[in-house]
Amino acid sequence: MSLAEAGTVAPPARRGVATARLLRSELRLVFGRVRNIVLLAGLAAVPVLVGIVLFVTQDSPVAGQGPPFPDRVTGNGLFLVFAALVSCLPFLLPLCVAIVSGDAVAGEAAAGTLRYLLVVPVPRTRLLLVKAGAVLAFAVAAVAAIAVTGLVVGAVLFGVGDVTLLSGDTVPLAEGILRTLGVVGYVVLSLTGLVAVGLFLSTLTEVPVAAMASTVVVAIVSGVLDALPQLSAVHPWLLTHHWLDLGEFLRLQVDVPTVLGGLAVQGAWVAVFGALAWSRFTTADVSS
Amino acid sequence: MAPGGQVCVLSVVSGEVAHSGAMDTTRTFSPRARWAVPAVAAAAVAAAFVVPATLGASASDDLPSVSADDLVDRMANADRVPVSGTVVYTARLGLPDVTVPELQGAGPLDLLGGSSTVRVWSDGEDSSRAALLGEVSEYSVVRDGPEAWTYSSADDEAVHYVVDPADLERYEELSEEAAEPPVDGDLPTPSEAAELALAYARTTTDVTTTEPVEVAGRAAYQLEMRPQTDGTLVDRVRVAVDAETSVPLRAQVWGVGDDAAPALEVGFTDVSFEMPDASVFDFSAPAGADVREVEVPLPEPGALEQKHPDALDGAEGVTVSGTGWETVVELSDVDVDAILGAAAEGRLPKDGTGSSGADDLLDELSPSDGEMPALPELDTRALYEQLTTEVDGGRVLTSALLSVLVTDDGRVLAGSVPPATLEELAG
Repeated sequence: MSLAEAGTVAPPARRGVATARLLRSELRLVFGRVRNIVLLAGLAAVPVLVGIVLFVTQDSPVAGQGPPFPDRVTGNGLFLVFAALVSCLPFLLPLCVAIVSGDAVAGEAAAGTLRYLLVVPVPRTRLLLVKAGAVLAFAVAAVAAIAVTGLVVGAVLFGVGDVTLLSGDTVPLAEGILRTLGVVGYVVLSLTGLVAVGLFLSTLTEVPVAAMASTVVVAIVSGVLDALPQLSAVHPWLLTHHWLDLGEFLRLQVDVPTVLGGLAVQGAWVAVFGALAWSRFTTADVSS
Repeated sequence: MAPGGQVCVLSVVSGEVAHSGAMDTTRTFSPRARWAVPAVAAAAVAAAFVVPATLGASASDDLPSVSADDLVDRMANADRVPVSGTVVYTARLGLPDVTVPELQGAGPLDLLGGSSTVRVWSDGEDSSRAALLGEVSEYSVVRDGPEAWTYSSADDEAVHYVVDPADLERYEELSEEAAEPPVDGDLPTPSEAAELALAYARTTTDVTTTEPVEVAGRAAYQLEMRPQTDGTLVDRVRVAVDAETSVPLRAQVWGVGDDAAPALEVGFTDVSFEMPDASVFDFSAPAGADVREVEVPLPEPGALEQKHPDALDGAEGVTVSGTGWETVVELSDVDVDAILGAAAEGRLPKDGTGSSGADDLLDELSPSDGEMPALPELDTRALYEQLTTEVDGGRVLTSALLSVLVTDDGRVLAGSVPPATLEELAG
């Protein structure tokens, strides 16, 4: 109990140190785990694979066919970033985020380490925030892994140049890079809602696989509902509905209300499921 | 369950942790109160999204009333002002869904059904731009004086329309009247819809005003037009006009079959009357895109003045019968089998179909280079058979607002009338 007693009288500065130490160890836990590194490597392999396939087939009759961006990649390597992000968004990215966020609390409970963590002189609220921060850091790393490899592979195989927007207008490369950063930021923030859902489900169970699987299910069910025209009234509130609004950054004038609208919906999911996770985590009896 | 079936040695209940003193926040809430937090968060979120939508519904309350005639005059004589904003177009025509936007990208075919978003810019004179937004695709129509472009991001194809050099001089004279080169696959705007409705308002129609409404946050007068005849599929048309600038903000068309929702609706969801940046109208084909050049002759002066179906009458193979809402246009000597048969074999009829719109549609649907079939391949005959139903002496296409009859002897009749009327006319 000496540690806990020390916590009672600790000045705010020492509590901050404890939190920082906790965050460091949490990040080490997330990024030190072989499984998570493999996930990141798998995501980074997507643009490599797409890039090589497009490079090999660019002079064949099938060139220029398929989903929105690949046909532009051969003209400008920067589009490999968009092509890879768009192809990872429906399944791979949510899967990776679900694995890490579903594991955050349930994984510790399953390994029997959660009770030791709770002895650290840090309130549960802050512990949860630290957990969320670490998962979010992984989400950033996941999107960055795709974007950076996409940019490097695209530049090496196809070269980069002025960017032709969806509107048909051409902007200089520097602005193209800025818009790419906008897309990357939007994709990261689009995943925050799923992170909150994953964290909440993770606090419900001691079986990490259950939390991971149900988080993936939430993302997929949201996608399925989004495809049903009969439900168009609820579409704007769905977790995944605004994910492809990343295209907004590639239009003539980036419509700020559209972008903020998409982020507001993510904010709503974070608020509701973050609050649920907090209620559950701070009231649960932790027995393992 | 702890691994290895271990008995849980240490049981840390939240209350006990509170006793350790580290969790100073834990003391202030009982567990039950904690579960109220998500409920409050959900309510706050719901309120944040719902309340702004219901606020400000009073903007149209203190408008002075105006008569229907005055409103029509006001629209006809309004100064053209710069407009930009977002337009949502919704069609509930009851046609089968034939497009796969996820695969094909945004294009004019999307307008046959469902909801589409179009972003528009206009300088109030002879430059305008409209962009149909797809998920990660876009179809743009840009007009700048005697030039016009369409660009489809999914096909990376640009079409450049220029006024026939022979007509350019006449265009310069006309440009004060804001004549625009016609473009295939044009996008709908509330202004165009309202213009069309007003043309009909002068025929056999009861024109009234309704209570003022609010569209895109602007107070607006609303005009209601009801055809006096029962012979048409159109039940009523409503046009909302901005009270300040007299710019049409929304047009809605109800069919006789469905009173709950308009069959066609096009309206601004947000609108601004500031001059758009000049660069918006400055378009040139992007590097690497396929570019097609089209020279368009200007319509004859007479046709410009009266935008009326009667203007078609007298053209070769075209007959117009009925007036006003009941107008039926009849094309004769259309070889449907040749069009469908040729398209099914993967080539176009040598001399086209006689309609530039149909030619473009066929271009769209058929392979571009003759080697690899374009994906996804649409079987035009299957599509035709899916859209139409067999009737005595031909096939008929029925939708909420328009009927088309293709007779076996090669005539095409179309009009905003029930299919039975067309069959009667065809004999």
